[in-house]
Amino acid sequence: MKIAVDQELCSGHGRCYSLAPGVFSPDDDGFCAEAGTEFVVPEELVKQAQLGVGSCPEGAIREIGT
Amino acid sequence: MQWKDTVDTTGNAERFGRDMFNDFDIDDPKFNDNFYDVLDDMVARCPVAHSTVGTGYHLINNYEDVRKAGQDWRTFSSAKGFQPNRGEGIPYLYPEESDPPYHTNWRRALNPFFAPENVNAMEESIRADANDLIDAFIADGKCEFVGQFASELPGRAFFKNLIGVPVEDLPMLLQAMDRHIYGPVAERGEQLGIALAYLGNYLKERSEQPSTGDLIDTIAAGVERDGETCPWEDRVSILTDLTLGGIATTTFVMSGAMLHLATHPEDRLTLAKDPSKIPNAVEEFVRYFPPVVALGRSVTKDVELGGYEFKKDDFVLLNYASASRDPKALDDPQRLDINRDKILHTAFGVGPHRCIGSHLARLELRVVLEELLRRIPDFSVEPGTTQEYETGVLRTMKSLHLVFGDQGDAS
Ligand code: HEM
Ligand code: SF4
Repeated sequence: MKIAVDQELCSGHGRCYSLAPGVFSPDDDGFCAEAGTEFVVPEELVKQAQLGVGSCPEGAIREIGT
Repeated sequence: MQWKDTVDTTGNAERFGRDMFNDFDIDDPKFNDNFYDVLDDMVARCPVAHSTVGTGYHLINNYEDVRKAGQDWRTFSSAKGFQPNRGEGIPYLYPEESDPPYHTNWRRALNPFFAPENVNAMEESIRADANDLIDAFIADGKCEFVGQFASELPGRAFFKNLIGVPVEDLPMLLQAMDRHIYGPVAERGEQLGIALAYLGNYLKERSEQPSTGDLIDTIAAGVERDGETCPWEDRVSILTDLTLGGIATTTFVMSGAMLHLATHPEDRLTLAKDPSKIPNAVEEFVRYFPPVVALGRSVTKDVELGGYEFKKDDFVLLNYASASRDPKALDDPQRLDINRDKILHTAFGVGPHRCIGSHLARLELRVVLEELLRRIPDFSVEPGTTQEYETGVLRTMKSLHLVFGDQGDAS
């Protein structure tokens, strides 16, 4: 699973790093530290990542490939 | 396209005693009394509702549309305030009632104080306050939870850990904020004035002492506005908005959570037995008991949203409370499910104004539930009592009578 976090849209709700701490982390302001990047999620964290993706109120996290 | 042709309003006026789709009034007790039913009816069949109160306003009700409008600050501006029919001359509350880039300057300065890492350091202080409040009533075997706990704790947490204002002054500020939000429209400006004057004096005093770089000093130093340091009044406004958010919102979630646990013993038992499930329950409580019902934006150019053609200078409310109950975004939204694994909601807002205090609110709620369930694992609603609510752009519970042990009706 490959995902992208949109820097413009992330507003720091913190749902991603609370639900999927293995995939996302907070920066010093409480925003998603991975915002503005694309990366591949390891197989064993895919389920966790999907929770994070589905719970971002801004729709800032997108699945962009496998 | 005529909006009325596309929306079925059948039965709405009869059911609620007022046409909630075409003649809505957020301050009408009929909305307060039928809160969830009105929200669910809106989200089911009325993407945009209308009000004729004062100069009139509209409500955007669906999750996707609320998200779009909340993120599009250029079209849906906060600069003309968050209350509909706002009185002339009432000072604006920042950062709430401002747009980027000025808004961004403030959020950049303030965000670090409210980020999870900084907020988590307040845990033990909040826990101690929760226990002090519980100590005061536990021997009575009962309490009025809103007055004796839920309205006190958020203020203490905010005053002690973030701004250093004496806790004794909390009741006066609570009352002024309460009247500013729920009081008669004509008195709202005056009530806000009381809070502004008090907090302004405090900020002035602190600004005359050497800076420690804390939140108050950061506010007192100001940020850039149009190439210069912003005026002093703006800094007082920042402190006042933070205080309003800090003391007037979390109370409702706390009260709602306790009402739910008092009436759903199985959920109470689940959380008492396994406190690691509390954070998820907290998120669901925030979704289900939204202290911020709907906040306003001014439309800056003609735009279509939710099938309705908005005109420049229209005033709209983003209905965060209904958007959090949208079946298109969330399965079975009318059910409160503490074990829900995907909780999508807009209770903390969306876009650049997303609640700055959300991490603090979550921490308060988690710690409070941990301590209450540890010390009072069994409680229920006092027989013969009912809860009263008050609703405007915010919503709150006025009283919640609980009895402990097995004296109640839900044990
Ligand atoms: C469960 C508790 C809370 C809820 C549900 C809540 C909800 C919200 C919502 C919906 C907004 C968005 C406003 C908009 O769209 O215009 C907001 C903004 C704000 N909240 Fe909260 N809030 C809570 C707790 C707090 C706390 C504890 C604080 C302060 C310590 C706080 C301070 C603020 C401030 C200052 C803003 C304005 C942010 C901006 O305009 O950039 N809130 N809150
Ligand atoms: S949940 Fe979405 S908005 Fe919140 S921090 Fe994560 S990416 Fe950003």
